[in-house]
Amino acid sequence: MAGKTPSEKRLHKELISLVKEPPPGMVVDVDQAEQNLNVWTINMQGAEGTLYDGEQFQLQFKFGTSYPFESPEVTFVGQNIPVHPHVYSNGHICLSILTDDWSPALSVQSVCLSIISMLSSCKEKKRPPDNSFYIKTCNKNPKKTKWWYHDDKV
Amino acid sequence: MMYMLDCLLNFIRRVLDTIFSRRITNSLLIFVKTNTGTVVPVGLDPKWEVRDVKEFVAPKLGMTPEELMIIFAGKELQDSELLEEYNLAEQTVLHAVKSRRRSFKRKPRVSTCIEEDEEFDDTKRAAVNFYVYCTSPCANTTVGKIRVRCFKCKSGAFTVDGDPKNWNDVLKPKRITGHCEISQCTDGEVGWSEFYFKCSEHVTKGENDEAVALHLIRNNLHDIQCLACTDVRSKVFVYPCDDGHVTCLECFCEYAVSRLRERRFVFDNNIGYTLPCPVGCPNSLINQPYHFKVLSKDHFEMYERFATEEYVLKNGGVLCPQPNCGAGILVDDDCDKVSCINGCGYVFCKKCLQGYHIGECLPKEEQLIIDITGYSVDPKLVSQSKWDDASKVKIKVSTKPCPKCRTATERDGGCMHMVCTRCSFPWCWLCQTEWTRECMGSHWFS
Ligand SMILES: [Zn+2]
Ligand SMILES: [Zn+2]
Ligand SMILES: [Zn+2]
Ligand SMILES: [Zn+2]
Ligand SMILES: [Zn+2]
Ligand SMILES: [Zn+2]
Ligand SMILES: [Zn+2]
Ligand SMILES: [Zn+2]
Repeated sequence: MAGKTPSEKRLHKELISLVKEPPPGMVVDVDQAEQNLNVWTINMQGAEGTLYDGEQFQLQFKFGTSYPFESPEVTFVGQNIPVHPHVYSNGHICLSILTDDWSPALSVQSVCLSIISMLSSCKEKKRPPDNSFYIKTCNKNPKKTKWWYHDDKV
Repeated sequence: MMYMLDCLLNFIRRVLDTIFSRRITNSLLIFVKTNTGTVVPVGLDPKWEVRDVKEFVAPKLGMTPEELMIIFAGKELQDSELLEEYNLAEQTVLHAVKSRRRSFKRKPRVSTCIEEDEEFDDTKRAAVNFYVYCTSPCANTTVGKIRVRCFKCKSGAFTVDGDPKNWNDVLKPKRITGHCEISQCTDGEVGWSEFYFKCSEHVTKGENDEAVALHLIRNNLHDIQCLACTDVRSKVFVYPCDDGHVTCLECFCEYAVSRLRERRFVFDNNIGYTLPCPVGCPNSLINQPYHFKVLSKDHFEMYERFATEEYVLKNGGVLCPQPNCGAGILVDDDCDKVSCINGCGYVFCKKCLQGYHIGECLPKEEQLIIDITGYSVDPKLVSQSKWDDASKVKIKVSTKPCPKCRTATERDGGCMHMVCTRCSFPWCWLCQTEWTRECMGSHWFS
């Protein structure tokens, strides 16, 4: 592992563990991740028995050079963006561990599990109340957005 | 025949010389200091027993070997021990005192190598090191040696009653009792020991040549993996949180530099400019800022500059508003005129950070209007011909000071919601006060 930055070493190990023990319904695009370790695409299947049963989503992870001291930038991409009170129609996700509550002790794995549980606990498919405001927003990078975390009673 | 014999004799002589001179190069220059303050330099052989040392030194001090007691690092050296067992460095100071026969026996071993956050473990002592920052001459993070002296009179002629068992015993004063050999110093009261550190990588410049303990840098005795890169490294940084989170030194630097770039250090009145455990644990501030010396020279300079600026702002000072200057200036309470004396020389108003003026400050918006309406030609043409002036206008239009710390902040894009890059205060570009839900509702994008 000589010559690799700490961030690269960490991402390599996370990629291996994500392939070995993928979170339920998730598959990481290994070829793409190996070509560019800083951008991963994860294909996600809506879990059985939830409002998203049968749907396909794509999650994109972007890692900066200070990862894991900085959170990854995580968005839904592609054709189908889940309709959920914490997911904006442009794919941005309102999840506190992706900004304020991020810690280097968390991982891609833990972010995936949080997103799965966020979708699974949804009772009603709808966009966040400020969606139309938000998507015209000032920044393409969700991390540059100061979030007002919505109630957790979703 | 005679010639051959001569050669042989020469050879034997040379061999003997080599053996003899090796004895001399093996000798160690040691200073023996008495409690009257006399210092006697002596060349000692590390293979000697302490008994031999006493015989050698006693006459020079006008004492008999029997009444001589030799103290090093808080311990009395025992007659039958070899000097080399103590790993004495060149020019170490040993303390010689007239022995008082005491009723209790002291443990003979010297603790030059102890570590561990909870209990210092005897079996591992040989394998561990203390890390220190040696300001001069090494100017580097080095391996250190622990030393002890009398808390009251600072004399090294001091024997401890027990070993320090953990870092608190070492770092906090008055934890381990002992006896000061300086006459009358601790008579009739409890003697307290005070631990300090010396750099082991340069020849000591005397008793005051101390080094700063970097107690959060430890040898990785338990093979704990770095929480960031997950490597298991030999040297680790142990954050002072309850969980004792660990990163490798390389990741500690990564962490510090990424926080530094975003000016997200914490300013603590007692500790200074510092960081908590990267996991965000409560009460986990790095309490010895010398640890940031392990950063590269450039990054440490950045750290020092930001720390100074932070100190200046905390104490009511201002930062020079000139681009590329930003020097911190402490100001008088009753004077609005500030000169950037140690920086670019700019003279400005403390209140509005514009060039110094007499009378009331102009509100920012009015200045804008004056600047913009001052042009009687098409601003587009102006911007083509007078790039400098035009860009000045642009800077005035697009920067406003953070309402909290007054750092000039540029607006990027259409959003009114600003987050100060220095103090992370969320504020509203229009109201120039803290960002509220009302701002979000009524003029987020206007
Ligand atoms: Zn040194
Ligand atoms: Zn004393
Ligand atoms: Zn590491
Ligand atoms: Zn911690
Ligand atoms: Zn200046
Ligand atoms: Zn003014
Ligand atoms: Zn600010
Ligand atoms: Zn406002």
